[in-house]
Amino acid sequence: MQENVTPRDSVMIRTENLWKTYEMGEAIAVQALCGVSFDIERGEYVAIMGPSGSGKSTLMNLIGCLDTPTQGRYWLNGNLVSELSDDELAYIRNKEIGFVFQTFNLLARATALHNVELPLIYNGTPAQERVEKAQDALRKVELGDRMHHRPNELSGGQRQRVAIARALVNNPSIILADEPTGNLDSTTGEEIMKVLDRLHEAGNTIVLVTHEHDIAAHAHRILHIRDGKIDRDERVS
Amino acid sequence: MAEVGATMIKRRGFVNLWVTAREAFWLALETLRVHKLRSFLTLLGVVIATTTLISVMSIVNGMNLYIADKIANLGANTFILHQWQWEQGYESWLKARRRNKPIRIEEYEFLKVNLPNYKNIGADAWIWGESDAKYGGKTLYEVGLSGRTPNMIDIGQEKVESGRYFTESDYEHSAMVCFIGRDLVDEFFPSIDPIDKEISVRGANFRIIGVATRIGTTFGESQDKFVHIPLTTLQKLFVARPQLAVSVQAYDPQQMLVLEDEVRALMRARRHVPYQEDDTFGINASDTLMSAWHKLTGAVFAVTIGIVAVFMVVGGIVIMNIMLASVTERTHEIGIRKSLGARRRDILMQFVIEASVMAATGGAIGVLLSFIISWIVDMVFTSSVPTNAVVIGLVLSTVVGLFFGIYPASKAARLDPIEALRTEA
Repeated sequence: MQENVTPRDSVMIRTENLWKTYEMGEAIAVQALCGVSFDIERGEYVAIMGPSGSGKSTLMNLIGCLDTPTQGRYWLNGNLVSELSDDELAYIRNKEIGFVFQTFNLLARATALHNVELPLIYNGTPAQERVEKAQDALRKVELGDRMHHRPNELSGGQRQRVAIARALVNNPSIILADEPTGNLDSTTGEEIMKVLDRLHEAGNTIVLVTHEHDIAAHAHRILHIRDGKIDRDERVS
Repeated sequence: MAEVGATMIKRRGFVNLWVTAREAFWLALETLRVHKLRSFLTLLGVVIATTTLISVMSIVNGMNLYIADKIANLGANTFILHQWQWEQGYESWLKARRRNKPIRIEEYEFLKVNLPNYKNIGADAWIWGESDAKYGGKTLYEVGLSGRTPNMIDIGQEKVESGRYFTESDYEHSAMVCFIGRDLVDEFFPSIDPIDKEISVRGANFRIIGVATRIGTTFGESQDKFVHIPLTTLQKLFVARPQLAVSVQAYDPQQMLVLEDEVRALMRARRHVPYQEDDTFGINASDTLMSAWHKLTGAVFAVTIGIVAVFMVVGGIVIMNIMLASVTERTHEIGIRKSLGARRRDILMQFVIEASVMAATGGAIGVLLSFIISWIVDMVFTSSVPTNAVVIGLVLSTVVGLFFGIYPASKAARLDPIEALRTEA
């Protein structure tokens, strides 16, 4: 029998025997995750590594509350989120998770400021407060002078910093970065990693999904995924 | 703790929806601004539908006002007893004309004596055929010649501009006097006082005692080309037994209905109309004339509503089509929004509001166009935009957008966030 109690407060993420099965047709089922269990403590800096097809992306989608597991349970900041409905998941994503994507995923038509405001719009923050918070977040990533630029007027590094500001603006429990440097040259990539390092030092819990060792090396703990299972749980000092 | 999360989720109520609705509203305006031509083409159906609806309503409204003012206006609280009912089908009119006897002086006198509690009762009779007025070598052709009782000035729409109307004395003595319309003054007396001048109509000379205030035209026909003489004078000179229209004026609209019944009862009794049979005379009032007119415009409206409905449905389908394309085009954006915490209803609202704002913009353009059309029509005919037409036009177009936006919006709302994010922008 599995433990049936809510994890203690210092545990930010607890997955318990997570399975994800994709039905690909009548008889074919692909096991993307086969019983994944781990805890991530508050304030940890964790990298999830694995080759493509390892179930890394599936795990990221589950941690990011974009998807629900076929089996198993997942607690995020004390909330059992593995059994929530779509709209409840949307709420959790809004409140608990700050996404940083490989392709930035900014709205092309909107200014940097408006992009950063989006998460605040979806939790109903009044306009005045929203703009102040978004401006603060942009200043934190040193884009105070680019607030009214649209993504196509910004460099790749700047775009990713806008995305980081957007991830930060709602004060989420975790920042979930999926190959954050994948579309950047190595110099800019290092810059972005420095921003993430700084956020970790400021007390944020960071989960990094990557297949690059250099990038994973920034984390203090590396979860190696292979064939839908945790292959190795490596602590880097 | 999980339950705490759930209650917090529920607490995010409609206040938040307001914030996201405002975002959706600005987004919709932005989309319209960016895609001007596409939006305009999309909205053409709604624009045409709204314009048609409001324009027709304006023209009918203009004609209603016109009819009420110029044709159905028999005077305040006044109805007219005549040989037949004015508003009826051609067949029944022919029948009434054969069957009904004209209203005669004796009947007028009878009502005047026996009808209780009226404010005024008067009579007039028109001479049909060519009545040309002559003065000082000039001739004005086809002048309306009628004989009237002196109190008609208190009942009808005419007002004395200068001089006076007939007196009881003129009436009793069949005086050779007349009361004329402004057209005759313009023709014969452009620069001199017409009072006490003598004009000749149908070979008889009449002394002008008064001039009526200008009435204007109805459907292009001047209403000021008339000569009124005392009814008794008309009897003496032209027709011994004229066919009358008897005007009865009541004190208020309620009493008018009572008086109509009284007149009907008295006339039936006097003419010995059997119980089962129809009236052998007609009682005409503004409301019956207006209701006949409304029957006509009702048919115009029915056709208009059909056309507008077709335009609106076509317009709505075009909007739905463009919204479906827009959802596909913006799948990635929807994915981003969902990843940031947009719920289904946030996305649903975004697209429904966008469709409604688009359609409402079409409606607003339609309102604008119909104001222009109404303004042009009013120059050559008559048209007046009623407020309710504007409201109906705007509300209807918005509702069309709302209705046809629901399907594309729900499609957008149901998108899977992972799939949507994976779609290339």
